Amino acid sequence: MFYVVTGGSGSGKSAYAENLVLSLGEGRRIYIATMMSFDEESTKRIARHRKMREGKQFETVECYTGLDSVRLKKDDIVLLECMSNLAANEMYAQGGAGEKTEEAVMAGIRRLLQDVRHLVVVTNEIFSDGMAYDESTVEYMGHLGNINQQMARLADGVTEVVYGIPVCMKGGKKNEASA
Amino acid sequence: MILVIGGESQGKKEYAANTFGLAAEEFADGASCTEEELLGASAVDHFHEYIRRVLKNEGEEGVLGLAEKLTGQNPDILVVSNELGYGVVPVDKFERLYREKTGRICCALAAFAKRVDRVVCGIGMVIKNE
Repeated sequence: MFYVVTGGSGSGKSAYAENLVLSLGEGRRIYIATMMSFDEESTKRIARHRKMREGKQFETVECYTGLDSVRLKKDDIVLLECMSNLAANEMYAQGGAGEKTEEAVMAGIRRLLQDVRHLVVVTNEIFSDGMAYDESTVEYMGHLGNINQQMARLADGVTEVVYGIPVCMKGGKKNEASA
Repeated sequence: MILVIGGESQGKKEYAANTFGLAAEEFADGASCTEEELLGASAVDHFHEYIRRVLKNEGEEGVLGLAEKLTGQNPDILVVSNELGYGVVPVDKFERLYREKTGRICCALAAFAKRVDRVVCGIGMVIKNE
């Protein structure tokens, strides 16, 4: 099964995604980490996420670009976090796919879907704050938006996490709470 | 506790007042109220502005334990807050801290709240109702 978990910054989407992985049963749990550490803030953020995963028995695989070169086993349960970092790495990092970011990322996603038992991808809602951005950032948003749409088409379930509350967009119950 | 969230200018306060039977005067304003007023109010609007002010004046330590204080001392309050964090990571360090803290604090309030409504275009969607 393929699940996409999205949400804003600080929405609790990582915690939700980790619990989703735990609910998918026993098996080797792989965490594909995509965030490069380049300053104190990112190091702190990575440390916070590592602490959250403690005791949940994840093996970490680092992948900053070239997702389709990651080789995993057919019974693996995989959590990839976060698509917004992976897409940015492909676009901006040396050795990244540049203009071919969407193709490179989706080739990796399709490869994982063939290879593993369950895949959960955490992505990010960066599309709604009405600020004007520079050209390169707008291009990045376009790539990430298209990747999110393509993943959602392939996914069995898509959930937006709103301050820790799952709002189901695809698969499962549409409205989790009723008035 | 009831939490009403949504983007800027979505009619959250009016929705909250109508849905939960409150008068406009019953809302404290997060943009100007004191901590004492917040902890004594039956409702607060612009809660994100309260977080922003405390962060500006007192730094990160100022909001440490804010969620616990509010849930502990004013557990029946109705909180109206903007939902932040739906844009590209801000370049400015304070703006990054502000949206991160607002997110974490609202996650804690949402976990505690019996009901959470999300307002878009003035229309509320109940996303949690215990």
